[in-house]
Amino acid sequence: MAERVRVVVVDDHSIFRSGLKADLDDSVEVVGEAHDVESAVAIVTDAAPEVVLLDVHLPGTAVPAGSTGGAEVIRRSAPAVPGTRFLALSVSDKAEDVVGVIRAGARGYITKGSSGADVSRAVHAVASGDAVFSPKLAGFVLDAFGAAVGETAQASDELDRLSAREQEVMRLIARGYAYKEVAAELYISTKTVETHVSAVLRKLQLSSRHELTAWANARRLL
Amino acid sequence: MTRPRACAATGVAAGLAAHLGWPVALVRAAFVVTSFAWGAGLLLYLWLWALTPWDEGDARPTRRAPVAWLLVVASTVVLVAVWTQSGQWYFTAAASWWQWYAATYVGIGLAVAASAWATLIDRPDPARGPRHELVIRSIATVVLAATALELVFVVNPEANGRMSAVAVFVAALAAVLGILLVYVPTLIAKWRELTDERTKRIREEQRSEIAAHLHDSVLQTLALIQNRAGATSEVARIARAQERELRDWLFAGDAPADSDLGTDLRGFAADLEIDFPVTVDVVVVGEQRERASGELAAAAREAMLNAARHAGGEISVYVESTPAAVEVFVRDRGPGFALAEVPDDRLGVRQSIIGRMRRAGGSATVVPGAGGVGTEVRLRFPGERGFPGERNGAEALHG
Repeated sequence: MAERVRVVVVDDHSIFRSGLKADLDDSVEVVGEAHDVESAVAIVTDAAPEVVLLDVHLPGTAVPAGSTGGAEVIRRSAPAVPGTRFLALSVSDKAEDVVGVIRAGARGYITKGSSGADVSRAVHAVASGDAVFSPKLAGFVLDAFGAAVGETAQASDELDRLSAREQEVMRLIARGYAYKEVAAELYISTKTVETHVSAVLRKLQLSSRHELTAWANARRLL
Repeated sequence: MTRPRACAATGVAAGLAAHLGWPVALVRAAFVVTSFAWGAGLLLYLWLWALTPWDEGDARPTRRAPVAWLLVVASTVVLVAVWTQSGQWYFTAAASWWQWYAATYVGIGLAVAASAWATLIDRPDPARGPRHELVIRSIATVVLAATALELVFVVNPEANGRMSAVAVFVAALAAVLGILLVYVPTLIAKWRELTDERTKRIREEQRSEIAAHLHDSVLQTLALIQNRAGATSEVARIARAQERELRDWLFAGDAPADSDLGTDLRGFAADLEIDFPVTVDVVVVGEQRERASGELAAAAREAMLNAARHAGGEISVYVESTPAAVEVFVRDRGPGFALAEVPDDRLGVRQSIIGRMRRAGGSATVVPGAGGVGTEVRLRFPGERGFPGERNGAEALHG
């Protein structure tokens, strides 16, 4: 972590922004802050940071019903800054919110209860192209892709189901394992774990599995 | 002075009798007699009726006397007399025509009073109710409509020089107005219902607004407090417990009421967080068939308690239900311990977790956590369609 990661923090609560800024370690440089959808889009496109820490619920005009402010920021600013990655940060455990923002293009999701060190680590992971899954998100993914009832993808390009290996990785993450521990447990490299997680993230974003939308609406992720 | 909730008509006489220590009959007679003195008794009666409260209690007042029926019958008698007698009234010069008008108006008034009584007073009465109200109102309507028609089509003011056409028309109009008045109480009730509904909707909107606001502000602050205070500090624990409580309240109604394994373990995790310096992350996957009262739940709780007591810090609980089995993983990052080193007299792990699972037909293993950090307890309970012998107990060899 020689070079500092440039980050924009988007949250409508200034107290949370300042708290988070103080908590992030030295390897992360906050280059901008925003408090609503419009200012977030302006700052992100202007500063072109490596990572945007994005609150899921943001005030803003013209946020369509069924969407969230966070998802809207990604949708509006992502085309202008292709190098920027988004990390959703929320107190919300509602599956619809989480899945909504992931499907809009966020590279990961962590809860606001995470410590400053955790957030910094997640920022680096996202900056280097990895996906960040919390145990809760992993649990939801297993549920939504029918892993618990024994659905397993046969082909590698199948979007609507997880491969056996991906299920194993997700299970271990849901059990609270760090990537390194997952790698040790499955006798694979950390890089391979990251590849699997990224593949799951891609499926989460592209799959048309109806559980992803229907379940997310029907139950909250907790 | 109060009125008894089970009364004859209004409870005024009975209440006053109880207050003065007189017999009820005497009080009633006194009201009737004094009413002849320029209506003094009647006025006193109405005044007491309006101002005397009911007896204390929750029972809805019920009345013995069928007041609405008496009123509607009286109204019918008077108005039928008006119809049948109108022919004679024209020609008997002795009877003055204002008597005829008075009778008409009294009859109309009685019909309106009957329906008002039925709607406003009898409707909440458990002995009568909406059906009774409908009957009374229908009768009153029919009687009033017949009167109006009779006045317009049958009575011929031209035949009697002493009756003006205008006066008869006004009487007919009064009858029609009476019909309207019969339905006014219903309209008022409907309107009140509508306002109530609106109030309820506004309140509901307000609630969700407050919920959204709390979600955005208080939860954020609680998260921040947990962040800044460090995961294991007293302040963070209180904040976390508070966050859970608030979250439960905000999303009340979303969660299923019956307690399954996942719900139960979440609740237990919340309790642990209050009692011990820990944060417990519970992730539940799959459809929950396992009941909270089962052996698996008891073993899982014991494992969580052990982790909270001996390891502290962050604890991950993962529950997965598949058709083949229900599995629970409890993982901590504490100092860890080797099962072989635990003295035999320590019942916690050996009896409450491993023994219990084995007796119930499942299996339990205690292994060091990944990378040698902490401890992981794995519980497995074959499902209804469990495959016999499939890895049951085999995991005990693992690690």
